Amino acid sequence: MMICPFCGFKNRPGAFFCDDCGQPLHEDPGTMTMPTRQIELVTSEINAKSSWGTASFDAQSTVMLHIRDVREPVQIRPVARMTIGRSDAATETYPDLDLTSYGAMEKGVSRIHAALLRTEESLTLVDLGSSNGTHLNGQRLVAEQPRVVRDGDEIRFGKLVAHIYFQTR
Amino acid sequence: MGMKDTSTFEGIDLYSMLGVAPNASFEDIKAAYRRAARRLHPDVNRNNPGAGVQFQQITVAYETLGDTDKRKEYDKKSQQHADNLHFTLRITPSKRRITSLPEPQVIYLLAEVFPDARASQANQKRDSRLNLCLVLDRSNSMNGPRLNQVKVAAHQIIDQLGEQDIFSLVAFNDRAELVIPATTVTDKAALKARVSMMTASGGTEIFQGLEAGITEIRKFLAPRLINHIILLTDGNTFGDADKALDLAKTVSKDGITISGMGLGQEWNDRFLDELANSTGGSSSYINSAGAVVRFLNTHVRHLSNTFADRMHLSIAPDPDVKLESAFKLQPNAQPLIIDQGFVPMGSLQKGRSISTLLQYELPAKMPLGFRSLSRIVVIGDILGERIRKFQAISDISLEITSENVNEQPPSAILDALGKLTLYRMQERANDALEKGDVRQATRQLENLALRLAAMGESELAQQAKQEAQQVAHTAALTDKGKKALKYQTRSLLLYAENNEDNGNGDS
Repeated sequence: MMICPFCGFKNRPGAFFCDDCGQPLHEDPGTMTMPTRQIELVTSEINAKSSWGTASFDAQSTVMLHIRDVREPVQIRPVARMTIGRSDAATETYPDLDLTSYGAMEKGVSRIHAALLRTEESLTLVDLGSSNGTHLNGQRLVAEQPRVVRDGDEIRFGKLVAHIYFQTR
Repeated sequence: MGMKDTSTFEGIDLYSMLGVAPNASFEDIKAAYRRAARRLHPDVNRNNPGAGVQFQQITVAYETLGDTDKRKEYDKKSQQHADNLHFTLRITPSKRRITSLPEPQVIYLLAEVFPDARASQANQKRDSRLNLCLVLDRSNSMNGPRLNQVKVAAHQIIDQLGEQDIFSLVAFNDRAELVIPATTVTDKAALKARVSMMTASGGTEIFQGLEAGITEIRKFLAPRLINHIILLTDGNTFGDADKALDLAKTVSKDGITISGMGLGQEWNDRFLDELANSTGGSSSYINSAGAVVRFLNTHVRHLSNTFADRMHLSIAPDPDVKLESAFKLQPNAQPLIIDQGFVPMGSLQKGRSISTLLQYELPAKMPLGFRSLSRIVVIGDILGERIRKFQAISDISLEITSENVNEQPPSAILDALGKLTLYRMQERANDALEKGDVRQATRQLENLALRLAAMGESELAQQAKQEAQQVAHTAALTDKGKKALKYQTRSLLLYAENNEDNGNGDS
């Protein structure tokens, strides 16, 4: 089985291009056209067991979201679909993960900005048509197209930067 | 193996089968045979019937080349054949060594047929004579520049043809009208005058036109000729599509090929594809009236440059292997229907190859060692002083290993697959729309736009993006966008030299 690093689709071995999103599968993921990760070392909080860069995400895994300039990481236990944004009483919008207290308003986070989707073996991030976009490792996501998230990835909602780490028990 | 059958002898080079040079010494031949036999011997490949076939082949080769008298006779015979023109079949697999896995896996083969290089140099004289019928749509929608351009194209085609060629022309709307009955091309002015009289009116009923065209072709039908119909339409045919397809399948058996050309946006692409595919012809999209003349002319010029006609491809995978799809890359890009024994491939032209990309599924848990994957046979009639049936055979074998193979696929396969993936994405978007899955269709088109942009096809990427938005809002593609994405992703597969004859005419 070859899991597409872009969309998570399960391709048969021997395939050179993803049967779903058309991205090349034959290149070494390390050399794919992703910009260099800008990882800030926050080693104290990282679980020593987590293997950096993995895309595998099992039922026991949880996620730590390290938001830049925020001391305490946010711990998340992803559900099938977890919306991310900022709450707004006027429109009665309440995302599952509310970033209001992290300066979401001034950093251009939409009310319903993105979502983390958990599938059987991986975690994907999807932009839900946000005004200022969602970036994964510097690449802007096309709305409604899920991308596989790997341990240590940089995610940007508008101007709000966060790093995501997997924790496996 | 049919090795003793001289008709297949021609295509099989015993020296290359053993991997030795034609001037190899007896010792070299013996050593080469021993090496190959160790690899392929049935005793070491007990669970591998494919190896048995391979072993037989090299044994026959050794029996011939290892015996001084037999080798002399073989050399003499192949020297005689060497003067005959032939075509060659070259197979390139995506991987030669495969890791045995607990799950099924895919493998790709590039099958290329090359005409004899001497054919394009030797004599400039044309070997192929045409029996050509133009079946032209003259429905109301053709009125104006379209019909005018078609007339110009027909005039130029008449100019291209010679006294040795047969030409006929049928115009159709709701019914067929025989404008030029099948005739040798002698009085060109008279023929052209008749073309000029055509006027546009009425609807589009393809079956009638096609049937009348076939009647004309049959008047002179002969294996000596390239019997070809060019159907040009700008509209959907009503209610008679199935009848037309049945007719096409019947005439294909008699060696008649049909090429379908759609002009503008309103014609039925699936119908025209199937019509052409079932006879070995090509189907193409001409996106503007202005492109018609050059397009038709190029098509006819290629036809009259035929080296071998009535080419057929047969693919026999091993019992545990599944052939999943076949896609013709050259000389025109289109999917092949593989649910028949011999797939019609049309004509092989001088200096141009026919190439096909095949996708197979290999079973899980393959035993280690050498095994065969598939046999591929190409047959065709080589035109010349006389017609000769010729066939080329290739048995593809692979090495199954427990090691983790990290082999880069040949760039020709990778390149073709990358582009074929794009074509399939727009097909999937269409399929999703047919099932009413707007979200999936939008996603496929957005992904397509991303890939096209990454490959530097910015114009087409833009079009895919627009269609994605269109689909998201209206749950349908525009007619123009649908055709453009389909035929232009296809034409990406062609080498630059003959892009001109695969739609995208006025770019």
